[in-house]
Amino acid sequence: MKKALLLALAGLILFSSLLFFPASVSARAAACYDDYTVCRARALDMDTTWVKVTIYLTVCDVALGRCLVLGF
Amino acid sequence: MNMKTLWERTIVVLALAAGLPCPPAHAFAQDSSIRRYAVEDVTPAGEKPDEACLALAVSLAFDADRVYVADAEDCAIKIFSKSGRFAATAGRKGQGPGELSFPSGVSVLGGRLFVADKFNRRIQVLDAAGRYLSGFAVPFSPDRIIVLAADRILVTHNPTGRQGSEKRLHVFDRAGRLLQEALPSQPSGDAVYDAFLNMILAAAGPRGEFFIVRRCQERTILRYGGNGELLETIPVDERYVFKPLTLPVQGPRKTIDGFCWDFSFDRDRFYLLAPAYTEEKDLGPGDQISVLDAGGRLEARIDLPVRVGKAAVDGDRIYAVDREGDLRVFRIVR
Repeated sequence: MKKALLLALAGLILFSSLLFFPASVSARAAACYDDYTVCRARALDMDTTWVKVTIYLTVCDVALGRCLVLGF
Repeated sequence: MNMKTLWERTIVVLALAAGLPCPPAHAFAQDSSIRRYAVEDVTPAGEKPDEACLALAVSLAFDADRVYVADAEDCAIKIFSKSGRFAATAGRKGQGPGELSFPSGVSVLGGRLFVADKFNRRIQVLDAAGRYLSGFAVPFSPDRIIVLAADRILVTHNPTGRQGSEKRLHVFDRAGRLLQEALPSQPSGDAVYDAFLNMILAAAGPRGEFFIVRRCQERTILRYGGNGELLETIPVDERYVFKPLTLPVQGPRKTIDGFCWDFSFDRDRFYLLAPAYTEEKDLGPGDQISVLDAGGRLEARIDLPVRVGKAAVDGDRIYAVDREGDLRVFRIVR
């Protein structure tokens, strides 16, 4: 009986983690893309020279990659 | 040397290391048949309130009495008299009704301000005092806005390319119902390069029409009807030259042909503010406006005494925002 309860509990934890993590990853990605949109919009509306805009846009791309992979 | 200067110089050195071209000789071609207009600076002198300073002017509109400037950094619409004196501020930072987050476009009709509230992803309609009247959400970060008629609102957008090709022009009715979309973006897989290719400028035309100019690569003016239907592609005179620039991006070198920094339409004439090379051979705001007739033929050039990032023409007046963040008023001497 005790073994069955433990197995059920383990199964429940596994099941809930499967439910939780994809949603968490998806929410994090959405937040990353929101930040990316803001970063990019700021770069494009800076009204500065285009090489500087290119560099700021590249920084936005790097930040997006870091956010998606490392989560910050 | 302050930190900002140091940072900007570092960027320039990095850019030069990546390899930028010298401007080609034809970029400076002169043509004696093109008229040249001088301007007289009629900006009011004297002390100005701090509010009059534009932290990041991104859009400029006017009606019979006032000039309206969307200041994205201050999250407000700065209102000036037509003589250039500061009058009032509409809106403030926030997410509630009448509050703005990075206003990126402003247009005015019948004393009402239509504002593209970029980071709140919505369009807001305010009265001249900044009080909220109405608004609607949009499914993208709005860029510029032009009220074509009482029930036709054009909103532009520069997509990230994440969702493939997306439309850059959206026409809504007053209630926020999408009526038409047009001008698909051109995703190439390089988000930085695409951002430049997809940059567009819009200007209101007569009878509810509007005009679109791409900021680089294309030397045409697109004329659209009030419902967002493409009516005409107007080729721009070859004497109005591209300004090429190699971008410091990863992989194979990519060159963009700078075409227009800002654009307006007034009394059957197009006014294109040309980008100009900087001392570092970068491409930035210019000090020359080209006047084109309705067929795209280059008629005249207007030389400004300073570089400006935004410029709009109303009769013999040019309203412009200089690099110091001041609204300048110039009288065209034809």
